Amino acid sequence: MIRDRIAVALWLAVLAAAAFVIAGARFSTDLSAFLPKQPTAAQQLLVDELREGVVSKLILVSVAGAPPDTLAAASRSLAARLRADRRFVSVDNGDAAQLERDRAFVFEHRYLLSPAIDAAHFSAKSLRVALAESLELLGSPAGMMAKPLIPADPTGEVLRLIDGMAGAAAPATHEGIWVGPDAKEALLVLQTRAAGFDIDAQEEALAGLRAAFADVQRAPGMAALTLALTGPGVFAVQTRAAIKRDAARFSTLATIFIATLLLTVFRSPRVLLLGLVPVASGAAVGVAAVALHFGEVHGITLGFGATLIGESVDYAIYLFMQTDPRRGAAGTLARIWPTLRLGVATSICGFSAMLLSGFPGLAQLGLFSIAGIATAALVTRFVLPVLLPPDFAITGIEPVAARVRAAFARARVLLPVLGLAAIAAAAVWITRDQRWSDELASLSPVSIAQQQLDQRLRDALGAADVRHVVVARAASSDQALALAERVGAALDAAVGTEVISGYESPARILPSAATQMRRRDSLPETAALRTRIAEAARGTPFRAGTFEPFVEAVRQTRAGPLLERESFGGTKLGIRLDSLLVQRDHAWYAILPLSGVKDVANLKRALASLYDAQVVLLDTKAETDAIYGTYRREAVSLSLLGAVAIVVLLAAAMRSPRRALKVCIPLAASVLVTTGLLLALGQTLTMFHLVGMLLVVAVGSNYVLFFDRSLTDEWSDRTSLSLALANVTTVIGFGMLGFSSVPVLSAIGSTVGIGAALSLIFAAALAPRPRAV
Amino acid sequence: MTSGSRRAAFAAIVAALLAAHGGAFGDESGAGPWDLGQLMRELSSVHTARARFTEKRYLKMLDRPIESSGTLAFEAPARLEKLTLLPKRELLRVEQDKVTLEIGAQPKRRTLSLSDHPQLRAFVESIRATLAGDQAALERFYQVDLSGSAERWRLKLQPSDMKTKSLVREIRITGRHSEIIGVEVDQADGDRSVMSMVPDDS
Repeated sequence: MIRDRIAVALWLAVLAAAAFVIAGARFSTDLSAFLPKQPTAAQQLLVDELREGVVSKLILVSVAGAPPDTLAAASRSLAARLRADRRFVSVDNGDAAQLERDRAFVFEHRYLLSPAIDAAHFSAKSLRVALAESLELLGSPAGMMAKPLIPADPTGEVLRLIDGMAGAAAPATHEGIWVGPDAKEALLVLQTRAAGFDIDAQEEALAGLRAAFADVQRAPGMAALTLALTGPGVFAVQTRAAIKRDAARFSTLATIFIATLLLTVFRSPRVLLLGLVPVASGAAVGVAAVALHFGEVHGITLGFGATLIGESVDYAIYLFMQTDPRRGAAGTLARIWPTLRLGVATSICGFSAMLLSGFPGLAQLGLFSIAGIATAALVTRFVLPVLLPPDFAITGIEPVAARVRAAFARARVLLPVLGLAAIAAAAVWITRDQRWSDELASLSPVSIAQQQLDQRLRDALGAADVRHVVVARAASSDQALALAERVGAALDAAVGTEVISGYESPARILPSAATQMRRRDSLPETAALRTRIAEAARGTPFRAGTFEPFVEAVRQTRAGPLLERESFGGTKLGIRLDSLLVQRDHAWYAILPLSGVKDVANLKRALASLYDAQVVLLDTKAETDAIYGTYRREAVSLSLLGAVAIVVLLAAAMRSPRRALKVCIPLAASVLVTTGLLLALGQTLTMFHLVGMLLVVAVGSNYVLFFDRSLTDEWSDRTSLSLALANVTTVIGFGMLGFSSVPVLSAIGSTVGIGAALSLIFAAALAPRPRAV
Repeated sequence: MTSGSRRAAFAAIVAALLAAHGGAFGDESGAGPWDLGQLMRELSSVHTARARFTEKRYLKMLDRPIESSGTLAFEAPARLEKLTLLPKRELLRVEQDKVTLEIGAQPKRRTLSLSDHPQLRAFVESIRATLAGDQAALERFYQVDLSGSAERWRLKLQPSDMKTKSLVREIRITGRHSEIIGVEVDQADGDRSVMSMVPDDS
């Protein structure tokens, strides 16, 4: 038939086009597709920091399993290996020797860096006070350490600077190496060169780290050492590996089960393969559609999209099972197509709500599902009958089919039980305080044990409280620094009160050019300084000429250049500066992490004069939870919108609101009971459960429509069997995933597994009473 | 002096008397010629000690010495506390690896780790290991030379490690039995300090 040829040619052309688009498509694994499209400036910065900021590059390492001395030696050995590895930008284990360059840098540039420098600082009067203090210091127990510094730095700028830069509380040490509170583990902090979202690069860095540790273990007495890692990159790598592993394991198992089952029924490998044609075509077109519309395809879209169009596997089952020798595939399709078409339209309605989402990731999933399901349906309708053998029919199933239909007919007796279940589920829903988990952590597939390890290492390392940060935005790095200085001045007033205990600022590491210039200009000329220091030293035991190194250092600073970002070379200060002063899309941001925030209201008041679009106080936890909360609430309301669209569609298609309602009741009931069951099992609902519910509605609508339309005619035996088979495959496929240790997979798996089974039971129990055949 | 160190001193006197009559008692162990091992054993029998000190520091950059005084306390095996009372209150405390410094009227506390500052550690061990009678620790950092008698001994310590050598040339500790009575430090740059101690029974 010419029409068949056109259908097959068109199908092949579309597949070729899809393949072409997919070949050129960009695939990303970047989580930010699942963050808002039009965020506030603060949210954007937060998202960027989570993606590629220094926070995203940190790896916290714990080495345990030996006495403290051995741990310290192992830490030194591991750090030495990692410092030689280009994949790591910085390796900190507490070893003070690593700070030598920083000390030298601070010493050399003390008169540009020190906030104490002004015109009065080097007056004879101030110097006199400084010399008295120096003399005291020389007599103190610290005298021996301070002695070499005094002739070059009588006003103690280096000590002042080091105190100011010390930041958060340092971890405990053993032999100078960072250890946990009870010295049972040595601690290291690494920073990778690659951004946190670059999972491949993170995986490589982790491999390097493990190899280095294996080398350390080969040394005598080190074999029993254990390694524990945490950090955003570690989580990303572990998550991807776990999802890959579980998805592969469970889908292989499910495939074996389902293929065996279908092969038993179809008795033909060729037919089995043909059954995959609609869903495979749908996936290809879905990916291509997303790539064309969004410019890139997210890894999550691929993974879950394929799951979402799992419904389309059922289309082939409906066709194959219901085809009987008398009418052939084409004739059967003509009969079941109106039902199938309405089922497809229902699913598309449900998924189309996701297209409206402000989150690119969710919108991608919506588009993928719509394009995929529509394609699968069209392929089932127009291509599959051509590919099937002309005399195709599955024979010898009549006795089983009749029994299944009889069973469905008896499902009505379950109604009281189902009614009670629905009431119980509603009760669970109403009485449960926390139905939805609004913490970003609930999205995280990271295990509780890993999260606890992360918290423990962060506590032990005294890692700064990164929850509250002030962000200042400007057009240039120097303007950002100047703004950070103004913020710092406002914060200084709040430090030491009950508001905050301290803060870090990039301007402490690199003062703005204006500030450096002001300091440099306030330094006295050599002759004047020499006179003043001599005057100040009069009457003290200091010998004449002692402070020549000081005079020389001031002279050099006066004649020398100002500091720039590039001046810091490979110092730790430079690395820190890069994390606190960042450039994003033509703007520069100075980031000031606060510690010990006790009074947010007063903090906001302290910043009030600066608090506008350029300077914001960011509560990162509140902000990320808000992002996720918005995401989840939006998804819920969009799902409700989808539900309304489905009701309207059914009412229009059936030209009877009453019939439409009859179709909707089993769907609503199965979603309600599934939700109640999940809550009763102690789960808190997340985004992924919601995605699972959409699929339950999509799959379930087909069941209900078939019961509504087809079980009343002479073909009802075969239809019943096709429904049972489609249902069993869905329950096996998703039920397996429900056993995954990855929360994302298990949420979708358990929701769809339970929901699909309940949908069929509800559909059968609430089906219109069949006429006698 | 506490009763413990008094007993130790008594034991030392007995030992010294026995040593004087060594010939008469044959080669009984512990009664041989007086040596470093014996001094260390004697010192290690002291568990707590307190003393008053006066210290003079002669620095090249100053034309007269800085004087200070206060108390010293030791608790075996690894706690040493130097409390300067004049001219200003200052506290230096060493516990195992941890050094605490309190300087100023509103004491600003600093802590640091000895292992981060090897030179400081060598310096601390000169006194602490001597007080503890820990010969191994002492010899880890210094070449040790003992002269004199149990009545009046002198330990000359010369750093064995280059880094410490760049800071300290020689430390001389003088004592009587299990009691330290003076510590003199010659620094590499020519500065030096002289500390003398008397037992504090208060």
